[in-house]
Amino acid sequence: MQTWDPQLPIYQQLADLLAARLLDGEPAEGEPMPSVRTLAGHYLLNPLTVNRALQALGDEGLVETRRGLGHYVRSGARARLREAERTRFLDIEWPRLRQRLARLGLTAADLDWEDR
Amino acid sequence: MSDHLVEARNLTLRYGAKVAVDDISFHIPKGRVVGLLGHNGAGKTTLMKALVGLLRQRGGSLQVMGLQPQAQRVQLLQSVCYIPDVAILPRWARVGELISLMSGLHPRFSAERARALLRRTSVDLNARVKTLSKGMVVQAHLALVAAIDAKLMILDEPTLGLDVLSRKAFYEMLIDEWCDGERSVLISTHQVEEIESLLSDVMMLNEGRLALAISLEDIDKRFVALGHDPAVAEEMAAAHPLLRYRVQGGSAALFDGEPPPSVAALGRRLRPSLVDLFVALTRAPEAHRTQF
Repeated sequence: MQTWDPQLPIYQQLADLLAARLLDGEPAEGEPMPSVRTLAGHYLLNPLTVNRALQALGDEGLVETRRGLGHYVRSGARARLREAERTRFLDIEWPRLRQRLARLGLTAADLDWEDR
Repeated sequence: MSDHLVEARNLTLRYGAKVAVDDISFHIPKGRVVGLLGHNGAGKTTLMKALVGLLRQRGGSLQVMGLQPQAQRVQLLQSVCYIPDVAILPRWARVGELISLMSGLHPRFSAERARALLRRTSVDLNARVKTLSKGMVVQAHLALVAAIDAKLMILDEPTLGLDVLSRKAFYEMLIDEWCDGERSVLISTHQVEEIESLLSDVMMLNEGRLALAISLEDIDKRFVALGHDPAVAEEMAAAHPLLRYRVQGGSAALFDGEPPPSVAALGRRLRPSLVDLFVALTRAPEAHRTQF
């Protein structure tokens, strides 16, 4: 069964999980998100928690609610997510990574840049 | 009549000569998934029996769907369904026959819905109950009960003795097919960790008393767990937490309310887990007995 990090609210973790899938194009823009009940059943979460996660994605402009139909992936959601992830990488992850590279004495030449 | 599906005020129940539920008050609103936790003998089964009218109350008041469970049991069972802890399906019967039987017995039972629910499982309509695995029997039972168009489902340790996959399949069906935002379910179980994320509310019984009745959302607001380095254990203990326990990578202290400022900065906040709260607020009957 899915294990959840005790340091973060579960709805936030589910929102992150769903966002990661959106970034991979699953589901594609304009397509419906899985229903609250499907997600609740799949992740064994209370439907209220799932609702909060979808609401969080809505607040980030990634999905929209269509009355009576559920949640749909907004057009441009992937680009927005990608942009947010890039910013996060450059602002937060990269400085840490650079520090570690410096500590290990690694330069660009030591790294494998080929996509295998 | 209130909006609540269950309304108990100062409810007292006896199991034989013993007071099993002692002056408890609570309510269950619509659309909730409520976990009923307690050690063996804490009063869970007694309370569930009273909710479906199988026990006479000895004090206080109890309303389920606005009805008095014992006096109006027939009417009550139109909108409440129940799987007792000792539930068995007749071993000789075929699953399909059980559906016909239920159709004849219960006015709100839908045979079509039962068959649809069973299609989710690997249970064959032609199979006899005695040929099914334990997990399949419980799934079949849930399908039969969930095919009743009721408002409240009461499940007394439904997954006891099932392996992890069967438990997961059971809860999947429950969440996916039963919970629609209007119906509520009350589940008792010892597998606290496993169902924590499923629940919207929790009730903890300790020796017949209600130790805690709270929504999971409010748990996060009211209780604070601080993960901390073992080096500051003494400072943490001096702040009188409800419970101190081990977590991955160190220790943790659980506080009811904000921890004193003196220790708040010494730890990092963790989401208090239901198991830790349960341990802090109830005591095992064995531990209790050794005091005498």
